Amino acid sequence: MTNHRPIGMKLLFSIPLLTLVLLGNTLFAQDGKALFQSNCASCHNPFKVITGPALQGVTQRVPDKQLLHDWIHNNQKVLASGNPYFTSLFNQFSKTPMNVFPNLTDKDIDAILTYVETAKPPTSTPGDGTPNPQTPESDNTLLYGILTLILAVIMLILLQVNSSLKKLADDKDGIPAAEPIPFWRNKVYITFIVLILFVLGGFWVVEGAIGLGRQQGYQPVQPIFYSHKVHAGINQISCLYCHSNAMDSKHATVPPLNVCMNCHAAINDYSHGPKLYREDGTEVDGTAEIQKLYSYTGYDPKTSRYDPANAKPVEWIKIHNLPDHVFFSHAQHTKAGKVQCQTCHGPIQEMNEVKQFAPLSMGWCINCHRTTKVNFPDSAGNNGNKFYNIYERFHKDLKTGKMDSVTVENIGGTECQKCHY
Amino acid sequence: MTAIVTGCSDIQREPGKVYMPDMGYSRAYETYAMTEEQKAELLKKGIHFSNTPVPGTIKRDELLPFLIGKDGAGDSANYVASKAVKNPLSSMDTVEAERLYLVNCGICHGPKLDGNGPLYRGGDGPFPAKPATLVGDAKYEAMPEGQMFYSATYGKNKMGSYASQLNTKQRWMVIAYIKSKQAAGKSSPAAAATTDSTAAKK
Repeated sequence: MTNHRPIGMKLLFSIPLLTLVLLGNTLFAQDGKALFQSNCASCHNPFKVITGPALQGVTQRVPDKQLLHDWIHNNQKVLASGNPYFTSLFNQFSKTPMNVFPNLTDKDIDAILTYVETAKPPTSTPGDGTPNPQTPESDNTLLYGILTLILAVIMLILLQVNSSLKKLADDKDGIPAAEPIPFWRNKVYITFIVLILFVLGGFWVVEGAIGLGRQQGYQPVQPIFYSHKVHAGINQISCLYCHSNAMDSKHATVPPLNVCMNCHAAINDYSHGPKLYREDGTEVDGTAEIQKLYSYTGYDPKTSRYDPANAKPVEWIKIHNLPDHVFFSHAQHTKAGKVQCQTCHGPIQEMNEVKQFAPLSMGWCINCHRTTKVNFPDSAGNNGNKFYNIYERFHKDLKTGKMDSVTVENIGGTECQKCHY
Repeated sequence: MTAIVTGCSDIQREPGKVYMPDMGYSRAYETYAMTEEQKAELLKKGIHFSNTPVPGTIKRDELLPFLIGKDGAGDSANYVASKAVKNPLSSMDTVEAERLYLVNCGICHGPKLDGNGPLYRGGDGPFPAKPATLVGDAKYEAMPEGQMFYSATYGKNKMGSYASQLNTKQRWMVIAYIKSKQAAGKSSPAAAATTDSTAAKK
């Protein structure tokens, strides 16, 4: 009993002490995070090699605390003194010089190191990555088909019953029955069947002919599973970041791989977004897809070097294809027309695999040209596009109230030669 | 079984047929829409999809090129030399410059130029390196525009080269925009307060 008391006392005392230390520690680490982010984070990450080495575990790698402090204060001096560990590290990172931090106090450095050693890697957020529901769409065609068939059979039976009854009644009345004609020689039946075949055949031929060359809904498997949803949707990258020519050129252009590497030289795994699924429901390993990008660019994420001998182009599959006899320019639509990407490409920021949203048929083009208003000066104080100053009659008509707006069709947007020449 | 499933699914993996392929698909070379023969012909010349213009080509309405080359590994002579280069633009369309900044730079450096864009999100985003705090960090406020231009042209640390996305004139416009924001941040008291608070943390 006497023995237990001091232990209990010690415990009692140690609890507030421990909390104090722990609390102090967390405060310390918090401060260290801010210091780390403002001073170190542009080149160092606790878990990843970026411009400089990954820092977690640095206090084990460099047990001499004074040396580590000296290195952080002024790495040039340590290098000049010929320290073998730091010299080899410097050479390993292709002699990229580290900034000097003479202003950081020893306490600051300790705070940073505490943060670096205690930081936890960001946990992946599984999110709502439910696979695309594979439930069969409620398609009632089959049901209706069966119903029609049953009704047709009932009708046939009733017709047969009707003719038999009529024959019976005729026999009774003593009217001589006409020689029965089998249905394959009955002119009414034959005309009826021919008519049905003609209508159905015509419908299918016309449908098929209109559908030739149209590929709405086309969704090919691309060489890399590049998700527009992750890039443009979740991470809010502007469409024009990658398709930078859309404002200036006929083509929106698929970006060269150096644009991918602007971010993916540093982002080498997929750990922040929801799970990815292909259209058929199979899961995609995002990290493996980023590795594919590295294999195309000849990039080695371990050494951060490119090997041009290993690089090869990605053969992306073009989805939206207008026939060669149609002229279309992205620049005209995005810059002068101020049309949003989604108007023609659909909810692209929600597509994991890109699908052709619009039919890209001539009727579709013309409909939009008929209803879209061009940027003329209006009563709201908008000065309009100066290019349209040449349309003097429309300006007059707008003023007199004869027209309330000018559409693309009015300025020649449905002339054949606008797009076919 | 898979054949049946793919046969019945709504996923359209094939482009379908066209009336006359030589009217549907361009006979001339077109980006990403080539016939197999065209592709083979270009590959013989060592061209993959898009060819670069002849070296030294200057586009109409384009500024003269930046004459300082890229530093080799472990060298920073050109980076230092770029400090002396001055912005050749005397005036610019500020609205367009802002648009270019928001499209190309804002994603990392933040729409408010605070180095906290949607890709970094204070360390929670996918990008592991902290982007430069363009407004509110003395280092970048003191950085000469020529050196910023060097970084935008060739890349620096984990930032890539933007020479393929922005032409020379556009890059100078973006830099002038950043410089104008830095000047505005210094003069306005609200921004000064945030600079103080970050300074206090150090």
